[in-house]
Amino acid sequence: MKRFVLILLALFPALLLPARPREVSDTLVFTPQWTAQAQFAGYYVAKDMGFYEEEGVNVQIIHPNVTQSAESRLRSHLSHATTLQLAQAVEIAANGVPLVNLLQTSMNSGMVVISRRGKNPMEQRGAKVGIWAGGFTQLLESVVKEANLRFEWIQAATMVNLYIAGALDAIVAMTYNEYYQVKQAGFNLPENCIYRLADHGYNIQEDGLYVTREYYEKHKELADKFARASRRGWDYAEAHPDQALDIVMRYVDRNHIATNRILQSLMLKEILNLQYDPDSGEKEYRIRPDMLQLTNDIMLKAGLIPRPVTLEELCR
Amino acid sequence: MSARLSGWIVFFAAAIFLASLGYMAVVARKAVRREAILGANRILDNTVLRVNGILEDVQLVANNLEGRIYQHLDDPDYMFTLSRDVVLTNAFLNGCSISFEPYYFKEKGRYFSAYSNRIGANVYTQQEGKDSYQYFYLDWYLLPKLMGQPCWTEPYTDQEEFDDKTMDSKMMVSYCKPLIGNDGSFVGTLSMDISLEWLSKTISAVKPYPNSYSILVGRGGTFLVHPDPQLLFYQSIFTEGLVSPNPEIMKLGEDMQDWKEGMQEIRFDDVDCFVFYKPMMTTGWSVAIVCPESDVFGGFHRLRNIIIVIVLLGLLIMYLVFSKLIRKQLNPLRTLAVQAESIAYGNFNTVLPENTRNDEIGVLSRSFAEMQTSLVEYIDKLTTTTAKKERIEGELQIARSIQMDMVPGKFPPFPDHKEVDLYAFMSPAKEVGGDLYDYFIRDEQLYFCIGDVSGKGVPASLFMAVACNLFRVLSWQGNSPEEVARQINNEMSRHNEQLMFVTMFIGCLDLKTGCLNYCNCGHNPPVLFTPEPRFMSCLPNTPIGIMPGYEFEGQTMENMRDVRIFLYTDGLNEAEDQNHEEFGNERMMNALASLSPSENAQGVVEKMHAAVASHVGIAEASDDLTMLCLKLA
Repeated sequence: MKRFVLILLALFPALLLPARPREVSDTLVFTPQWTAQAQFAGYYVAKDMGFYEEEGVNVQIIHPNVTQSAESRLRSHLSHATTLQLAQAVEIAANGVPLVNLLQTSMNSGMVVISRRGKNPMEQRGAKVGIWAGGFTQLLESVVKEANLRFEWIQAATMVNLYIAGALDAIVAMTYNEYYQVKQAGFNLPENCIYRLADHGYNIQEDGLYVTREYYEKHKELADKFARASRRGWDYAEAHPDQALDIVMRYVDRNHIATNRILQSLMLKEILNLQYDPDSGEKEYRIRPDMLQLTNDIMLKAGLIPRPVTLEELCR
Repeated sequence: MSARLSGWIVFFAAAIFLASLGYMAVVARKAVRREAILGANRILDNTVLRVNGILEDVQLVANNLEGRIYQHLDDPDYMFTLSRDVVLTNAFLNGCSISFEPYYFKEKGRYFSAYSNRIGANVYTQQEGKDSYQYFYLDWYLLPKLMGQPCWTEPYTDQEEFDDKTMDSKMMVSYCKPLIGNDGSFVGTLSMDISLEWLSKTISAVKPYPNSYSILVGRGGTFLVHPDPQLLFYQSIFTEGLVSPNPEIMKLGEDMQDWKEGMQEIRFDDVDCFVFYKPMMTTGWSVAIVCPESDVFGGFHRLRNIIIVIVLLGLLIMYLVFSKLIRKQLNPLRTLAVQAESIAYGNFNTVLPENTRNDEIGVLSRSFAEMQTSLVEYIDKLTTTTAKKERIEGELQIARSIQMDMVPGKFPPFPDHKEVDLYAFMSPAKEVGGDLYDYFIRDEQLYFCIGDVSGKGVPASLFMAVACNLFRVLSWQGNSPEEVARQINNEMSRHNEQLMFVTMFIGCLDLKTGCLNYCNCGHNPPVLFTPEPRFMSCLPNTPIGIMPGYEFEGQTMENMRDVRIFLYTDGLNEAEDQNHEEFGNERMMNALASLSPSENAQGVVEKMHAAVASHVGIAEASDDLTMLCLKLA
């Protein structure tokens, strides 16, 4: 019984596969951390518009699959680059795999908790709250622990059907993904049912583009070119959202992803919004030291990392 | 006219047709709508019943299997046998998994899911839980666990890979029951999978109208059956609403999600549709039939269009027929109108067509023909009469001239007799009149007269001419006024069959002595200025021409020197204004009294003429008017 949802499940188990060093000489293999969707529009645009080619980089985009998550592909050197949330990157780096952030696209947190019971999810003490079975929720778990809410975390591959059925009291969602899926299921989602981490002092950057330090040291020039072309891809996607969406939908169709153009257009819009720095209002493409500091603090307190990770460790 | 008349007829007929058809359309439309709702509901009921029947079979099998699982909870390997047997014995099942919580069977480790799956004719059985397939995070496992009760999953596409055999993707749905251990805790999930291809086919086949289609939506509004494969599983009934909310579709989605049943009229892709929907309570899905309005009312619209065409054609034919008929009926009238116009232009001899019809038009034609004949005759008569009249008028003008020449018209009349101041004026009311006056001097005797013949016009003028001539002849012989009167009377009454008469005043003034002999024969008494105006004393003699042999009496007035005598006919004192009020003796006397004593005869006559003309105004002169004024110095 290998259902279509199975592919998602396989993305999460971090570091499950043993490291199998394998060099891929002149080609850069990039694996985003999720199935094909507008969350990675900039990379698809850079590829399809020939920006990588213009930089002289031969980029192959290989999505994670049932047996190989993005992280495991990175660790096994099957992929050279992947996208990670900042908290994930901190966790991996702190646990002994040095990473280099090539491009920090996200400047905000898009994580929210959505109540199924029509009230503030943070007032639902002891509620059954759905989270992704594979992770991404280290920060949230720490916040909840601090607030002594005693949520019963229900790990699930996907949570939208459980939410619709009313099997959960709340779910963790991304504003660009599950939020719209729930709305697409006919839920109005008034603002009082949504808890936005960004609005409560936990606005921590998410998606960034990473390679292992080991790879970066060996292919510095290639990685820099890849980063430059990727940034160009994101800028182009913002300037030409319809064209970018066409490109995204080609990847979606090719990978048989159960989504639609409207959801992807909303995702692209939201992803691009999250790329603006909350203070300067500019697209800065950098890790903010204060956000890294906050991430370290929370994760150290929760015992998720043995030591803080410095900005220098992550920077090129 | 025929076009206008036909137009009005057709217009009223169309109005009646329209009202009738409109009423029929409204009633028929309601009936069709009612029938469509009943029909669609019947179909939906049958569909839901059929689907539920099969789903209930699955539930029954699951319930039976559940008991056997509980009997062998201590024997994990027997779960393989159970799952395999149930798939083998129930052809409608695609797969069955009996899955347990991590480490429930300690000897089996983290994963234990006994799964049997049908691929073609074979059934494969295996333990499917592994690191890359952590089943306990999946919907079908979690739903019964979290809900604490059996439930149906949302349909999903299943792309099977089994022992390196790849299958095509299938639409599947699973019925899942929570397995409860002896201590009441959740221990695992029993899941039975069935393919929904038959459901898709069953629902897609529901097609009450040629262009209608069926849709099935899941609990989250996702399209599970839809004619557009692009929408299946990828899109929900609410998706479009995320960017452009359509209240109608949102309402439909909410109703279907709330398991309501009913009907809504919605515009889909610029097509007005009826959507009939009904929930499938077993699974929480909702099935709907979308029927384009044009289909539902297709028969009705066809019938309506045919009727409209028939009515339009009928009206057109009616218009043409009526036009032709009315034109034909009115043709004689048209001819008549043309001919009447021709006649109006003076072509009185235009030949009218013969009309044998007996209706109003026939009567009118004949009447017109008769009128034409009469008109022609009348015009002929008129022409003759006019010619005669013109001739008579010409003759009358000559007669007038002659008549006017018969009375003396030269003033002053006696240049050799400066002592005589005399002026006379005569104005016939018609071309010729019956008034007369005359005067002459013979042997120092001034004879004068004034008269008024009864009646007016030609007869009176002839009578006047005779009287005039007789006066001159008889006076010239030196007869006294009464003798002149007597002889004129005898002469004129002799052959007076018309019984005409003439009033006369005959006077003879001796220029030497100033003595006046006079005889008044029924005439208005003259006015004397002494110096105040007063009527002259006159004997009551009869007018001339009435009584032959009548002896007229004369009168004498001595010393008439410097006395103005004013003679007049009744055209003066009986002259009427617009209101038929006579000038009268009083006005006449006042007018005369207002005259200056030094006024000569001409001045008296002209001023009196002016006074009477002022009284008459614009009224037509009713009688001949004659005035004569005389004074001996």
